[in-house]
Amino acid sequence: MAPPQAAHVNLSPAELSFLRATLAQTPPIRLDHTKGPKDFRSMRAEYDVLPGANGSARIALEDGTEALVGVKAEVEKSPWRPSATESNVLSVAARDVEMRDQDEDESRGKGQNAWIEMSVEIPGFRDDDPLPVFLASMLTESLLASGELKDRLYINRRFHWKLYIDILLLSPPLSYPLALLSMTTHLALLTSRLPALKSEKDEDPLFDDDWDASVPLYPKDRPTQPDTPPVIVLAMAVGSNIIFDPCKEELSVADAVLAVACTSAPSSPNGARVVSIRTIDPPSHLTPPGIPNAMNSATGGTVPASGAEALTQRELLANSGVWTPPRGGMKRGLISEVVKMVVEKGGIAEEVIGALQSIEVG
Amino acid sequence: MAAASDRRRINAPSSGTSAPVFARTVKEPGYLQSLRPARTRRPNELRKTFLQTGIVPSASGSAYLEIPTTSTPNSKSTLIPPTSSLKITASIQGPKPLPRSAPFSPSLLLTTTVKFAPFATRHRRGYIRDAAERDLGVHLETALRGVIIGERWPKSGVEVVITVLEGDEDGWWGDAGQESASGMNGGGWALLNVLAGCITVASAAIVDAGIDVVDVVSGGVAAIVRDPTARNETERKVRILDPSPAEHQEIVAACVVGYLASRDEITEIWMKGDVGADSDGLIEGATYAAVGSVGVLKDVLLEAVEAKFKNQAATTSKEGTKRKQQDVKMTG
Repeated sequence: MAPPQAAHVNLSPAELSFLRATLAQTPPIRLDHTKGPKDFRSMRAEYDVLPGANGSARIALEDGTEALVGVKAEVEKSPWRPSATESNVLSVAARDVEMRDQDEDESRGKGQNAWIEMSVEIPGFRDDDPLPVFLASMLTESLLASGELKDRLYINRRFHWKLYIDILLLSPPLSYPLALLSMTTHLALLTSRLPALKSEKDEDPLFDDDWDASVPLYPKDRPTQPDTPPVIVLAMAVGSNIIFDPCKEELSVADAVLAVACTSAPSSPNGARVVSIRTIDPPSHLTPPGIPNAMNSATGGTVPASGAEALTQRELLANSGVWTPPRGGMKRGLISEVVKMVVEKGGIAEEVIGALQSIEVG
Repeated sequence: MAAASDRRRINAPSSGTSAPVFARTVKEPGYLQSLRPARTRRPNELRKTFLQTGIVPSASGSAYLEIPTTSTPNSKSTLIPPTSSLKITASIQGPKPLPRSAPFSPSLLLTTTVKFAPFATRHRRGYIRDAAERDLGVHLETALRGVIIGERWPKSGVEVVITVLEGDEDGWWGDAGQESASGMNGGGWALLNVLAGCITVASAAIVDAGIDVVDVVSGGVAAIVRDPTARNETERKVRILDPSPAEHQEIVAACVVGYLASRDEITEIWMKGDVGADSDGLIEGATYAAVGSVGVLKDVLLEAVEAKFKNQAATTSKEGTKRKQQDVKMTG
């Protein structure tokens, strides 16, 4: 049967109903009442924590969730693929060499998805359980979406970098860890460096052994197209309210949960651009429904005589305040509102990316 | 994540063997490109769908979905089909009581298993589910969890088992040598089509099993593709419904939704790629595609119900299940 879900919340139907009511009013009152709907939990972040990795970062949230990410790069031989277009490329290259003199163009479109390998390790879960698999595929997908990172891993026709991103959640998953893992990965990739290449063209690659000469994986000195790793923002909907970075208890009353991955986009009028969106199954669907006093003989009510009658009475409870697990999905307008709040100028995504960048600078 | 290898069977090579390169494709540079399939449908025209419920007698509910290929090979000289079709079966086990050892559950426990048959795609799939299949299972669970009224079955579980007999392809076979053409923005576009099919077929099977749902959920896909023939940059990105990945050289972004048509709600959304500013338009396109498949779904379910009641009127035996009654009709 189904494996146990991530850290079930032990709240009674009455508590769930109360929590939902406070989150659904305007303005919503969150569990931590000092925070507004757009506020994130405070965190401690540091980078370059692992001396043996090309880049690493650690972020600890205030509720004790802590993640560690290490990025390691290895030189790997590219398998030669027989392809029909190979000969065309060669003949074109021989005719107009001057067109291909830029490094950028040479590696463009040559990267492959298999060059990035990601593993997510969560204590208490096997690596083929649904949660780690889902987290790894969402993180990989958003990383590959722009296609620029994997092109930067191209060395020459025979060799390429292989990037291993190992994500470790050090604490049990107290809240849904997607946002935390993505922020830690973002910081680790942002501070990753690769050794500078000394060899030319299709020679066997030879690298500068001076670490000070190494090049950042995400170069900062490209004003035309600065590129940052993606960051994933978790948003949940309660009634018509949208709340970002929900904690575990808040998630247990959510109507719907959405994960939005974005990267920075300075050229567009928006603050960020979306690279991936996924819905996440809210744990509220598994919460126990409440029993109203009218149906409970212990509180002076009458127990319905038949199953059908009980069902009818339950359906009439919709707005009575007695907790019933939410049904259905998310309205389309609400989704577009979430996306707008995330990507707009000065929106959530820009704020998070800016904050993570300032950690490196400061 | 290294998938555990299957040690109990003698397995074929994991990567398969590469397809032969035919001499003509190397000698004539333009020949290979002339075989490339093109979309003959209009941008908002869906592929035809075949759906049938009640195909597995031993399951409490089941359905089969087929989306045949539309494009015919434009050259008779090649044996390789230009695009693939989608064939998915779903069967439902339950609702049945949880084992005594399981902890108490206040609502119906839903387990979804999506498995590609080993022969479903051009690359052979193993017997053990890989990461992509597990990921599809999670997506499908998300799509169905919001639809099923789980609180009516405490202490019970239901299993949704999906087998993909033939999956859509990630790209045209001619592009397989250079991943860059189709995999520019991450690739794996076919999984979205497969997920949309899985949602629709699972929904039909759930209704066939008689499990209470708030609405019939259906899947739909929309994509933004780059049109190489357009003149200026603004015209180049086109939104299409129900893309067949083999027919497009470059897919920029795609989105699949699980849509509840009568409630106008979305239980599952999976969007990937470089969407740009028009994410709302893409979601809207996917819902249009989902509305298209809900039409098929409703007709098929109506047919199944009509057939059931016709049989019930014909036979006096009350205990026979639906499928037994169909058997009676055929013999007598």
